[in-house]
Amino acid sequence: MTPRSRPTYNIAMVSDFFFPQPGGVESHIYQLSTKLRDRGHKVIIITHAYEGRTGVRYLTNGIKVYHVPFLVVYRSASFPTVFSFFPIFRNIVLREKIDIVHGHASLSSLCHEAILHARTMGLRTVYTDHSLFGFADAASIFANKLLKFSLSDVDHVICVSHTCKENTVLRASLDPLMVSVIPNAVVAENFRPLEDSEVQNGMFKGHPAPVRPPGPDDMITIVVISRLFYNKGTDLLTAAIPRILENHPNTRFIIAGDGPKAIDLEQMIEQNVLQDRVEMLGPIRHEEVRDVMVRGHIYLHPSLTEAFGTVIVEAASCGLYVVCTQVGGIPEVLPSHMTVFAKPEEDDLVEATGRAIAAIRANKVRTELFHEQVKSMYSWTNVATRTERVYDGISGAISEEEFYGYEAVDGWSATRGRSGVQSFALIDRLKRYYGCGIWAGKLFCLCVIVDYLIFLFLELWFPRDQIDICPDWPRKEPKERGKDAD
Amino acid sequence: MAPPPGPHIQSAIPSDTETPFPKLVRSSTLPASLPTSSRSSSLHHRSSSHLSPEDAYAPTSPPRRATPYANSAAGNGPSADDRRRIRHNDGSRSRSRRRKRFQKLLWVKQSYPDNYTDQATFLENLQRNPRVRPYDFWPLVADTTVIVQHVCSVIIFIVCFVGIFQERVSPVAVVGWSSFATFVGWLIWDYWVTQELQSLPPDHEARTLIGREYPPPPAPPPSLRRQDSTGPGRPSIATSIVTSTSNLPSAASSTTNLLQDQNASLQASQPQNNGENSTTTGSNGNGNGSSNNGENGNGSGNTLLVPGHPHSRSVSSLNSISSQASTTPNPANPPTPNVTTPPPSSRMYARISTIKSAILIYFTLLGLSPILKSLTRSTSSDSIWAMSFWLLALNIFFFDYSGTSWVGRGTGSSSSATAAAVAITSSSHAPGPGPGMKKKKMPVASLSTNAALMASTVLASRLPSTGQVFSLTLFSIEVFGLFPVFRQLARHRSWRYHVLLTVALVCGAGAGVGIILGDPARPCEAVGVSGELGVS
Repeated sequence: MTPRSRPTYNIAMVSDFFFPQPGGVESHIYQLSTKLRDRGHKVIIITHAYEGRTGVRYLTNGIKVYHVPFLVVYRSASFPTVFSFFPIFRNIVLREKIDIVHGHASLSSLCHEAILHARTMGLRTVYTDHSLFGFADAASIFANKLLKFSLSDVDHVICVSHTCKENTVLRASLDPLMVSVIPNAVVAENFRPLEDSEVQNGMFKGHPAPVRPPGPDDMITIVVISRLFYNKGTDLLTAAIPRILENHPNTRFIIAGDGPKAIDLEQMIEQNVLQDRVEMLGPIRHEEVRDVMVRGHIYLHPSLTEAFGTVIVEAASCGLYVVCTQVGGIPEVLPSHMTVFAKPEEDDLVEATGRAIAAIRANKVRTELFHEQVKSMYSWTNVATRTERVYDGISGAISEEEFYGYEAVDGWSATRGRSGVQSFALIDRLKRYYGCGIWAGKLFCLCVIVDYLIFLFLELWFPRDQIDICPDWPRKEPKERGKDAD
Repeated sequence: MAPPPGPHIQSAIPSDTETPFPKLVRSSTLPASLPTSSRSSSLHHRSSSHLSPEDAYAPTSPPRRATPYANSAAGNGPSADDRRRIRHNDGSRSRSRRRKRFQKLLWVKQSYPDNYTDQATFLENLQRNPRVRPYDFWPLVADTTVIVQHVCSVIIFIVCFVGIFQERVSPVAVVGWSSFATFVGWLIWDYWVTQELQSLPPDHEARTLIGREYPPPPAPPPSLRRQDSTGPGRPSIATSIVTSTSNLPSAASSTTNLLQDQNASLQASQPQNNGENSTTTGSNGNGNGSSNNGENGNGSGNTLLVPGHPHSRSVSSLNSISSQASTTPNPANPPTPNVTTPPPSSRMYARISTIKSAILIYFTLLGLSPILKSLTRSTSSDSIWAMSFWLLALNIFFFDYSGTSWVGRGTGSSSSATAAAVAITSSSHAPGPGPGMKKKKMPVASLSTNAALMASTVLASRLPSTGQVFSLTLFSIEVFGLFPVFRQLARHRSWRYHVLLTVALVCGAGAGVGIILGDPARPCEAVGVSGELGVS
């Protein structure tokens, strides 16, 4: 808005989950980092060491990745030691002159530790939540307590959907104003619909190319790509497939993905003798997802919980009609003409799939337009712009009243103090942590004090001036704010 | 959570990209600091911002939904005007511009900042404790009677043991009275079952028989278990397969295949069953067995389904359990006339077989008593007390209080008759975590009975004479093996019987404990023993 020069930041993305492991969080971090680089910021990524990936690596666009050696306990989440990450983290942060620490994924202990240490060191912190959690069972209660600990002193939180925001606000007792909703995005170029040239080039080795638009007797292919876990609704799928195939002749399923529930699906196929109508591809790489998707007409997403559901955006971008359960953030993601919603129960899922098949057969759905529409809805550049506004807000580059609204200026807020951004004073931080619970609050305060003492010790033992400053990768020309929404 | 259908997609997507983010007002997002334009509603609001117990189980109860925010969301409430006024800085611009309503959608580019929190829609779908069920006091008390009954019967058993142990009660009296009570109970039980069977349509008869005649099984030995899982359970598998597969007409050929496969496997397992039958009865030829098979495969299974009497079943298995516990070779071949071809008056036959097995078990126990007496004699008394305490505690904790084996099995269609049937039906029909449900019927019920009989066996070794051992063991079989069966049916039958039984048991247990503790004759020993045992 104002022609002042736009500030650029040194940002450290911290998460346990990063390449080479595939997944939604991983690609989110990478895409966001790339676009932030494009906007003139400096981005480094801190993750734990993977097999064959240790030390420092550079990715495309000059993104530097630090693979910190850490013990991995479960599904590539590192072992939660509250303090042990601090020395190396401090070293990296000082070496790279980091201003903002941006943690990802609530199951990543690396992320939470980094947020704690960053606040101790006086850095701004942002946290992005990618998932929904329950409130009822013991594991969730414990996880939510830890999240509350970590987020008591975070500057801003980003959630991928409005439902996710509500969930996170409730779980971590946050002020809703300090939670932004910035959706995921897709690289629409990687999810193009099938082109005629591809069909002629024989991309479908042995597979019949899908007929578009399908006539009343043409084969309709329903694609399912998901990890086959309970929370992805594989049980629902197992129950629904025989009924769908029974109700609709000339339909078939392609199921890609792997997981503990794959055996149930295979049993279902065996029991109902559906080998010729259900094809199970097993695990596929993310690059192959598009090639599988374009073989179908309908994408079925039976998930039981989902914060955003990137895969249904990818499916719509490939020109598939989407049948999905109405859970979590899914209803917010796609417009209603691209989707058929079902309640997460067997009967409704079967019925909704039936409606989708009927609509496709009647040629009522203009799937060929989906790609352009999705492209205009979601782009990573947009995500990066909106994330940048969050950075501006927490570092004071845009005024508090602009960022939070007016009343926050007048009243003193416990979360933000008088300066509009969160105060780094230890006593203020302790106040925030103390409110976490009768026992937990005191325990958390103890942790923070210990963390602070470690910080002082590190300052003495490894003085700042003895840490080398690493030279920057040449930055890109920062684009003017607001002129980039493509 | 249904989004408003987006008819204006084309307009929504490209527009609004360069509109500046409007100011966000804290008052518009935080309910606590809302300018209370309407005084009357402020009190209501305050009460609703805190959780009250009713919120826990109001079905969909975000209390905010009914508050004035909803009105203000429509944009015409007075509070909306207030908000506009607060937004004074560049309010002229934003007021002049007709703003679209905030939508909880991600694919629409909206003119709201990312951290905008819309008070009308924020948390509107929040459900607090959707699955919580409020408990009322008296139904809860009524439900505890099952546990009370069982605890009381355990206490009565302990009291009787202490009485026998201190030689204050004649063991003959104990076993005489209890046997008499058991006999009367059996008569009542038999009357009830007959009545129920007559009231049911003949189609259901078979199934109820399956369910009814097999109370929570006290862990039959493998031979018995195989028999009863193949005998009466098998037809229900057949029927369930028929139902589950006949629902799939699309894959017609495959279903017939499947059916044939299953029938083949059925027949493969049947001859073995019939072989046993013929060996036990001797009169049952092979041809007869195969004709049974034919009927069986048809799924009606009406004639084959009359198994033995439950008393005989449980008694025989109990017998073998106690003999297993005493680590002697099983002397009494379990009486297995129960799966033979049924005579026309199946009830009469069942009665006779029950009496037969009762006599058999009586004499078996009589023969076993000397062995049981000396079995754990060398173990010190302290260990025995501790062990029997833990075993009885195990019995109480793992007892099958549900009683669903009566009701649920009888009326349920094809579920839970056998685990296999459940597996087949659930994998093809039940959604969600279906496969996990079939583990519901756990073997802990038999664990409970086994623990109690073990306790009685170890306690019996403290008794000096064979007669006492015999009476205690027989009494324990009656209390732990047969009495629960009667209690369950009484509860199923009529609530009044259940309450009466509970009251009687509580009185009996209380009186027994009082007599044992109140006797000044041998205070230390009585207190020592019953204090040790009475805890359980």
